[in-house]
Amino acid sequence: MPHECTNCGRTFPDGSKEMLSGCPDCGGNKFQFSPTRSAPTETAPSSDPSTSEDPRTEVETDDPPTAGETVSGGASTDRVDDSSASRRDDSESSESVREWVRRKADENDRRVDTSDFAEWPDSARRPEDRTSGDGESDPDRSTTRAKMADDEDSAQANARTSVVSDGLPTGTVEGTSRATQTDDDARAVDSGGAAPTEPDPAAADGDDAPPEHGRVVSEPSGDRPSIDELRAELNEQFESIKIVRPGEYELNLMELYNREEYIISLQEDGRYVIDVPDSWRESDS
Amino acid sequence: MGLFTELKDSISRVTDRLFSEQEPKRIGIYGPPNAGKTTLANRIARDWTGDAIGTESHIPHETRRARRKENVEIERNGKSVTIDIVDTPGVTTKVDYEEFTDEMDEDDAIRRSREATEGVAEAMHWLREDVDGVIYVLDSAEDPITQVNTMLIGIIESRDLPVLIFANKIDLEDSSVKRIEDAFPQHKTIPLSAKEGENMDEVYESIAEYFG
Repeated sequence: MPHECTNCGRTFPDGSKEMLSGCPDCGGNKFQFSPTRSAPTETAPSSDPSTSEDPRTEVETDDPPTAGETVSGGASTDRVDDSSASRRDDSESSESVREWVRRKADENDRRVDTSDFAEWPDSARRPEDRTSGDGESDPDRSTTRAKMADDEDSAQANARTSVVSDGLPTGTVEGTSRATQTDDDARAVDSGGAAPTEPDPAAADGDDAPPEHGRVVSEPSGDRPSIDELRAELNEQFESIKIVRPGEYELNLMELYNREEYIISLQEDGRYVIDVPDSWRESDS
Repeated sequence: MGLFTELKDSISRVTDRLFSEQEPKRIGIYGPPNAGKTTLANRIARDWTGDAIGTESHIPHETRRARRKENVEIERNGKSVTIDIVDTPGVTTKVDYEEFTDEMDEDDAIRRSREATEGVAEAMHWLREDVDGVIYVLDSAEDPITQVNTMLIGIIESRDLPVLIFANKIDLEDSSVKRIEDAFPQHKTIPLSAKEGENMDEVYESIAEYFG
């Protein structure tokens, strides 16, 4: 139960829509987020030593807005987004802040060259652009990334399983055609599994995503560095403000710009206050 | 029925806003921290209303809440434009309290950092919801090609908002207006020093012309 009302203590499952209109019990609009209490057994990274960090410093501030954004969408896509975000939280804790910042910086550097403002972040970089991964030349970093890729795989695979079980029986990547974000994810995973220059999602599907398991990603290996790029893209898609530590923040401007809700008060240790402006406006009209 | 009425009201509000001559345009002053946004906002407000908008400081992130000055009437060459000026917090992708610890104690620095982060969120929200035009302020002594500038100007372009680029701080030795013009050739760049009041005539002419 990752979300907890700070006023009355009522808890909500990740992605709960109830809290979008305030706590139904006490009307409070402050919630804290504790990813450790959300089904931690599903992901491998919990055995990683670095998870001994206080997980609350890793808390994402945007999970409720994510749920809010999907309110007007279909029911199945809601759950997909939620589960993806949840798994990501779990895997997130296995990455040190330093790694995160470095990766973020890499990502930012590339983005200056490649971003297309009209489309981004809807569009992750196109598969053909991903050949310019920067980790290969640095052995240390490759090692690090291989480890990160391991974490990513289990998180991604779990998220992907949810996609399949929620929506479609085939378990193929093409079957997950839903919100554009997951489409992009799927393409990214595919290109990570295939030759990096391969732009066609279908080509990799047979190799890497046995439909009977409903998983897109198979065993990780060090020679597929695009996995961590994918992970960075996923983070970009879900995250608006990252609390690196109290007093140090990373901001995703596109996310902040794109979302209707915005954070009006940022507190440390996983607490946040979000403004929930007219969440139902679109569905009303 | 109530829903329908509300919808109708909201549509007519939108059309009122689109076609009303009287409604002042809301002009957001955007840019990275310490570009001189508040100094500019204060100069414009003082020149045309006599009041200031906010506190200026050499420490980045002095403005952590968007501040608005309404009904600023600017007249130039017989042309008059009434605008609401919104001075926004400096937009950045990273805020670290250690940047401020030389100037204040750690608790204050952390608080400033947190408020600055909220301010960026607010500025981005304003950009999405509430501005009709943008004055993008850059420190002409700094390299204009940064991720933040590229991204923000891209967002502004994607919304088809009218935008003027102000190359501020031309009083500084390292200032290079050309560097900014070259970086964003698709937009009009106006050199100025908001602090010294240099070239404000062209500033007001451009505002009247672009946002009138």
